[in-house]
Amino acid sequence: MNQADVTKLMSQLRIAVRPNKRHLKNADGPEGRLLKLRKTVTALVKHERIELFYNRADEARGYAELLISNAIRHGDRHQATMELADYWLLEKQLVHKLFKVLVPRYENYNVSYTRMYKAPREYPGIYYRRSVLELRGNPYPSLAADQSQNRNLLHNVLLDEARKEFRRQKLSELVH
Amino acid sequence: MSAATKLHKTSWCALRQLQQYRTKANFSGSSASIAKRNDLFNQEQRRQRDAVGRIDKIEVRYLGLPEDVTLVMNGNISTPFNCAQHLSEGHCKRSALALIDGSVPWDMHRPLQESCTLQLLNFHVSEPHVVNKAFWRTCSFMLGAALNRAFKPEANLQLHSFPGPNIKSGSFVHDIVLQTQNWEPAKEEMRALSAEMVKLAAQDLRIERLDVQQDLAQEMFKDSKYKSEQLPSIAQQTNGRVTLYRLGDHIDISRGPMVASTSFLGKCVISAAHKVAEEGPSGAFYRIQGVALPSGFQLNHVAFGVLEERSKKPSPARLPNEPFEEQQQLQLS
Repeated sequence: MNQADVTKLMSQLRIAVRPNKRHLKNADGPEGRLLKLRKTVTALVKHERIELFYNRADEARGYAELLISNAIRHGDRHQATMELADYWLLEKQLVHKLFKVLVPRYENYNVSYTRMYKAPREYPGIYYRRSVLELRGNPYPSLAADQSQNRNLLHNVLLDEARKEFRRQKLSELVH
Repeated sequence: MSAATKLHKTSWCALRQLQQYRTKANFSGSSASIAKRNDLFNQEQRRQRDAVGRIDKIEVRYLGLPEDVTLVMNGNISTPFNCAQHLSEGHCKRSALALIDGSVPWDMHRPLQESCTLQLLNFHVSEPHVVNKAFWRTCSFMLGAALNRAFKPEANLQLHSFPGPNIKSGSFVHDIVLQTQNWEPAKEEMRALSAEMVKLAAQDLRIERLDVQQDLAQEMFKDSKYKSEQLPSIAQQTNGRVTLYRLGDHIDISRGPMVASTSFLGKCVISAAHKVAEEGPSGAFYRIQGVALPSGFQLNHVAFGVLEERSKKPSPARLPNEPFEEQQQLQLS
């Protein structure tokens, strides 16, 4: 019982990783495949929202999560983390962005740092699933419609009436 | 490609045959009258389509996304759905209701009569009152169809009517008459009714509208005691015309408008059945209530639970055993 909790020794991913085959084969072998993923992670950190094929986004997402979470855990004085950042970020000015912009942004997050949406396929075009991968807290307008502000939407009308009725009931209980 | 299409075609044919077989097997008593009603509906629909004669072209000015355009359509044949087909697949799937000349709500599958402006409404527009109301009315109508499918012939179910949509009351309503005076539905029975609603939604049935003369409506509903009692007073208000709606093989009287298809029903719960009054020696009026959200609306299950609880309270709408005309005079005065 005095053993260290092994799960605390490394960063835990905040996303579910499904054991699906990603089919990311490459003509240059594993190195070529990794280079593609490094390009994707670099583009994600640089642009904060990218649209790409679903499988590549799904695979790159895990590496981006791990990179940010290690950067938060160990800071920029940790050699292993620095090497990791140097490997995944092909443009070296993004290493500064990672430690000076993304780490302060995500320090107090308790959800995942990235978000993934399914995107529509082009027709006619290549029939692969597409997706949008983004960093949370990015400066762009939200992709999901906000359904809470418009009080005329059906569910908001129902909820408002339920709230009014609840208050009326509480008030009448107070009076009696 | 062609092999896949062929396979699809054969399985579809088999399904169609199975459906026909099932409907044939079910024909007896009330099913025969439903078949008769559908035959009359089909005949009248065909007659109205043939009566159009020479085709006039009308100009429909579409206002909205992606851009305002003018479409040249066929008068008394083209529907707002056909206009949406010229725009995109997304417009066809999302549009629940059309708005003519900026003010008149119009069913998606009702032919346009003359040149007009057209807006297509979905549930996410900034002012969704009209389409919400149509949705609530459609829910009541679908509940009638679900009840018809759920009850056995021995229960002797008779649909009475459904009052106008009132979203703020928290529940949509359908009033029925059953040949029992002490039906207290179990949880499983209510769940079965909800499942029927979900099945209807999954079938993606088109909701058709038809205006008919009063005597034809009388002929169609001669087996239904309550409907044939209601028809004269309804026809009196609308110059002898009665508006009918059809969903699958279920036909009912309603003023409309309704949403384009049953697939717009998302989350749905039939929550309560209240006994309203006794009817005759062994029957009784029951009021069935439920709550639903359009498809694509995501709501936390706790919040939906609150709505579900509230929808169980007896609805304040007009009761089926109260006289129809007196209520109207009260409203007028």
